Amino acid sequence: MSGESKAAAIIRSVVIYTLITVAAIVVLFPFAWMILTAFKVPGTEFDLELMPRHPTIENFKRVFTEFGFLRYFMNSSIVAVSAALFATLFASLAAYAFSFKNFILKEKVFAIIIASMMVPGLMYVVPQFAIIKKLGWMNTYRAMVIPHLANVFGLFLLRQYMASIPRSLVDAAKIDGASDIQIYGRIVVPLSLPIIATLFLLTFQFHWSNFLWQLIVTNKESLYTVPVGLAMFKQQHEQLYTLKMAASAVSIVPISVIFVFAQRYFIEGVTKGAVKE
Amino acid sequence: MRRSRLNENLTALAFLSPFVLIFALFLAYPLFYSFFLSLNKVTVLVNVFDNLTFVGIQNFVDLFRDGVFGWSLLMTLYYAALIVPLGIGASLLLAVLLNNKLKLHSLFRTAFFLPYVLDLFVVGIVWTYIYSPHFGILTRVFEFFGISYFSETGFLGRAESAMPAVVMVNVLKGAGFGMILYLAALQNIPQSIYEAAEVDGANWWQKLIRITMPLLRPVTLFMVIVGVVAALNSFVEVYAMTAGGPSVQVGDRTYQATWVSGYYLFDTFYVKLRLGYAAAMSYVLLAIAVAVSLANLRLLRPKTDY
Repeated sequence: MSGESKAAAIIRSVVIYTLITVAAIVVLFPFAWMILTAFKVPGTEFDLELMPRHPTIENFKRVFTEFGFLRYFMNSSIVAVSAALFATLFASLAAYAFSFKNFILKEKVFAIIIASMMVPGLMYVVPQFAIIKKLGWMNTYRAMVIPHLANVFGLFLLRQYMASIPRSLVDAAKIDGASDIQIYGRIVVPLSLPIIATLFLLTFQFHWSNFLWQLIVTNKESLYTVPVGLAMFKQQHEQLYTLKMAASAVSIVPISVIFVFAQRYFIEGVTKGAVKE
Repeated sequence: MRRSRLNENLTALAFLSPFVLIFALFLAYPLFYSFFLSLNKVTVLVNVFDNLTFVGIQNFVDLFRDGVFGWSLLMTLYYAALIVPLGIGASLLLAVLLNNKLKLHSLFRTAFFLPYVLDLFVVGIVWTYIYSPHFGILTRVFEFFGISYFSETGFLGRAESAMPAVVMVNVLKGAGFGMILYLAALQNIPQSIYEAAEVDGANWWQKLIRITMPLLRPVTLFMVIVGVVAALNSFVEVYAMTAGGPSVQVGDRTYQATWVSGYYLFDTFYVKLRLGYAAAMSYVLLAIAVAVSLANLRLLRPKTDY
């Protein structure tokens, strides 16, 4: 080994580490800035200082006591958990039928369902809203959750995964006299748990952050979810920066915590979703 | 035998029914219903269904003549033209950096991917604060370097910087998504190809252009589609940061600098309460989205098998 190539390797790794650190700072700075501001005393948020001089948790207290964020958190939790639960359940039931049952028009039905993935989400807002009105569901949890329970991407993901479960396993259970619901519950679901977890987390994340839909189907404060509550807060208290940042910071805690522990499921969802044929 | 066939079909139906019922009512039916709405004028939103007036294709004719709609499509195109190259560039850069043997590799990956799963509305609020006039931290950084152009207005208050500022937020938030895809593709390239190329005397640049880039092509095309769809669906970031503004003078007409089609749709339907017109608008946007998807399928198919 010549000394020169060793020097080149060192230079190379210095460059890479510098670049990657700068990139991490650029990507994460807004979140750090938000959290730091949330700990500042109101009125000092524009002082030129990175760290709060007199850090306070007053902003967080006020967000929960003076404003309705406790309620918004509860609403978001109810909506996101129930939507994730039922969307995953329905998608897995349907995926079971597509994977292990033979029925008429199977591939045609599947193709029609998958084709709907081409429709941009925004296009659905107007007709879905009209339907919700017609059903008299305005200002209900039903309206926030039910229209999103047919998760087409989830069905696609689960069917693809279930294709890797050996058919012989299912056939053997059938010969032993197991019913479909038993095969589904005791064999297929346990074997599909990683992808089911992925779908559950992706739908939870989607509903936790879903903004437009929750905004249009609710106009009662008691039903606001966190993003809608934030939007209304922003409208009414444009100048309360420290409170706004405190509320924002708290709102990303659940997803961030889940993400740190279950990152591989999210990454799974992203890579599996992209390689669809 | 026939009994068991019937049984098979009925069992399948039972398993399918929850999904298919919701799909039919909230994803399939709306497409037809939306078409029906687009042929009507809806006057009162309180009771949508007693106040429909059939107007035929009038909504589509009006849309065609509506200068603001044309402008919103142009702004959507501008959004796409910014987010596609910037998004691909940022994702690729992060992936190439991460594709080295690094200490703290998974920590960096987590850091880059985290913003992707966070709420866009919240991210928009934070950036509004960073971009704000006088005291916004980015405004101050620019002042530090002697640029006071944005001091009075902030970045969102000027017509020429508002759209790039909004798009940049989405680029930084979404870069981790593309990074994951590029990283997976990079790691799938067998090392032996590079070794063979080295034996043939290929240098670093030739390897990049002749081997790496072509093999990443499917991901890049996918990223183009993701960018176009993001432009067509852009609403939350605009709502959070600019509400469509600021105004921009074009000839003797005044338009709004971040008035993308998604925001116009929201404004028409939720603020102006013109459901029929908004439904017609949805259909035009759908046509664009489908055309883009089909073009993508054409482009992707023959090139993916290497």
